[in-house]
Amino acid sequence: MYRYDEFDATFVSERVVQFRDQVERRVKGELSEEQFRPLRLMNGLYLQLHAYMLRVAVPYGTLNSRQMHKLAFIADKFDRGYGHFTTRQNIQYNWPKLPDVPAILDNLAEVEMHAIQTSGNCIRNVTADQWSGVAADEVEDPRPYAELMRQWSSLHPEFSFLPRKFKIAVTGDEADRAVIAYHDIGLRLKKNSAGDIGFEIFVGGGMGRTPMIAARVREWLPKSELLGYLEAVMRVYNLNGRRDNKYKARIKILVHELGAEEFTRQVEEEYARLDVPQGLPSDQELERIAAYFAPPAYEDLAENDADHTQHLVDNKEFAEWVERNVAPHKVTGYAIVNISLKPVGGVPGDATSGQMRAIADLAQKMSLDEIRVTHEQNLVLPNVRKHDLFAVWQELKEHKLADANLGLATDIISCPGLDYCGLATARSIPISQDISNRLGDIKRQRDIGDLKIKISGCINACGHHHAGHIGILGLEKRGVEYYQITLGGSGDENAAVGQIIGPGFSSETVTDAVETIVDTYVDLRQNGETFLEAYRRVGAEPFKEAVYATH
Amino acid sequence: MAPGDSSMAKKISGPRILTANLLGDGLVVFLGTDGSWAPGLESARLAHSNDDVAQLEAVGGEAARANHIVDPYLIEVEDTGSSLLPIEMRERMRARGPSVNLEFNSRSNGHALVADQAVAG
Repeated sequence: MYRYDEFDATFVSERVVQFRDQVERRVKGELSEEQFRPLRLMNGLYLQLHAYMLRVAVPYGTLNSRQMHKLAFIADKFDRGYGHFTTRQNIQYNWPKLPDVPAILDNLAEVEMHAIQTSGNCIRNVTADQWSGVAADEVEDPRPYAELMRQWSSLHPEFSFLPRKFKIAVTGDEADRAVIAYHDIGLRLKKNSAGDIGFEIFVGGGMGRTPMIAARVREWLPKSELLGYLEAVMRVYNLNGRRDNKYKARIKILVHELGAEEFTRQVEEEYARLDVPQGLPSDQELERIAAYFAPPAYEDLAENDADHTQHLVDNKEFAEWVERNVAPHKVTGYAIVNISLKPVGGVPGDATSGQMRAIADLAQKMSLDEIRVTHEQNLVLPNVRKHDLFAVWQELKEHKLADANLGLATDIISCPGLDYCGLATARSIPISQDISNRLGDIKRQRDIGDLKIKISGCINACGHHHAGHIGILGLEKRGVEYYQITLGGSGDENAAVGQIIGPGFSSETVTDAVETIVDTYVDLRQNGETFLEAYRRVGAEPFKEAVYATH
Repeated sequence: MAPGDSSMAKKISGPRILTANLLGDGLVVFLGTDGSWAPGLESARLAHSNDDVAQLEAVGGEAARANHIVDPYLIEVEDTGSSLLPIEMRERMRARGPSVNLEFNSRSNGHALVADQAVAG
């Protein structure tokens, strides 16, 4: 994985020194809150509903065990013993004290981490497919390009004060696990007809109050032209994006108002007359960064492991966990282990410091020192020998991390909602817990099959409700929370925006409505259809009839 | 003053109290009748008139300038006689603390039960 060079280390250290001074001046009263607010936000520090919140970047969702141990240490020493993994592959601490934040940033810098550009109208932490570099059918590992974009975008003077925040996601696989269609820029590595690998480029996706699926602006771009082309996209946005209305300032609005064709024309025109050198990145620079992502020292293993096969036969619970949570690896004899942070009735994405340490130790012993964070608020051990799967599962069980529910009804995305967030209009976590408890029986979940339920506590849609097969949006009216339901959303390679089915539900009835929708699907599905397939066949009507007849 | 304070300039439709976050740890506090800032709203100083509001506003501004608190603003409450209940959902949550992760987030102040009832209701 990427290691800081001298420039990175100096830059991060200097930023901590600078912020320590700013905090001291704020505490002494030499800086007012108005002066200090933009400075703390540039370092990922928010003042939320109940306390400060520090958002720490996990670039492209990749961690090593040392970094995860450090996150656990910070949770214990400076917070309340837990952290929250987010839909942008970050981790958030909910209770840091202002005077402690410089020390937290010092600790992060020790393990090559920081909280820079996790807030503000800049290019945020670049996210990536959590299976990057290990997915069985991947075209190429996208993380070197994510790292390249991190370096390119960090403190980029032209892009530090954009009309609005800007999010980039990248995948190297046909199957989209990075939700690229819902990002300001989505990148997919793919082969052209000549077999050369380049980027398919999408622009203008987003959630929020105006959900949009990104438009494809380039079917294929040579890898060596990536930064130049992105520069052209950013310039068109920076020049023409609206700054008069924050609700219309995202690039999706510009793409929508201009039309994808005209937007693309302007980008291509800008790219043609770009005053930056062509060939960015250079082959040499790409090779330098790619070297950090060279595959770890895999052993030469057989496809099947006799002990593993026997465990599958002997232990049904283990076999079911393998079936749901373990994915094929590109290297023979290895597997990808997906760790659910969604225990039935739990808080989606939360991990205690003890769990973080357990995962860090497992990664060190049995995953070639790698961990990934997923946008679905789960974690991944990407390099586990099949032979070790049973031992990993036992260890995960000991730490309540072995729920075999990946992609099932209780694998719910939920934003922090009104339990923590200053922008939220309703609580989302308790609703996710209620639904999880209601549908939690594992036999029932397995019978229901693939189902993505996503919950946001306000229109900003951090809980990705627009992309939920069943999406839930929490709102407030006259002091009372209520919840809108959408159906048919998807964040994968066939992305779609969910459609509202009708009037909202109270916090007491929304779980009943979700259960009715699920039961309706079970009744009408044909030939092993998933929920989304069934919805796309029959539309919303049968679900609406069932829900509004009974509620 | 912070967002939410627009009510300060209007005619008072119901009693108000002054809230803010502490500068150091960011925790939610309310201005009490004794002039201190405390996590519980049960002893919060009430404003019933425009004059009261102006006084609270002055106290809040002074405390913010003294770097004790951040972003003071007034919230409307219902005075039941035995307790104060914030009208807005957001403020009930601020008063109560998170309704999840209770093993980590339990608060020691005495107002939690009152606010719990408000949220539950």
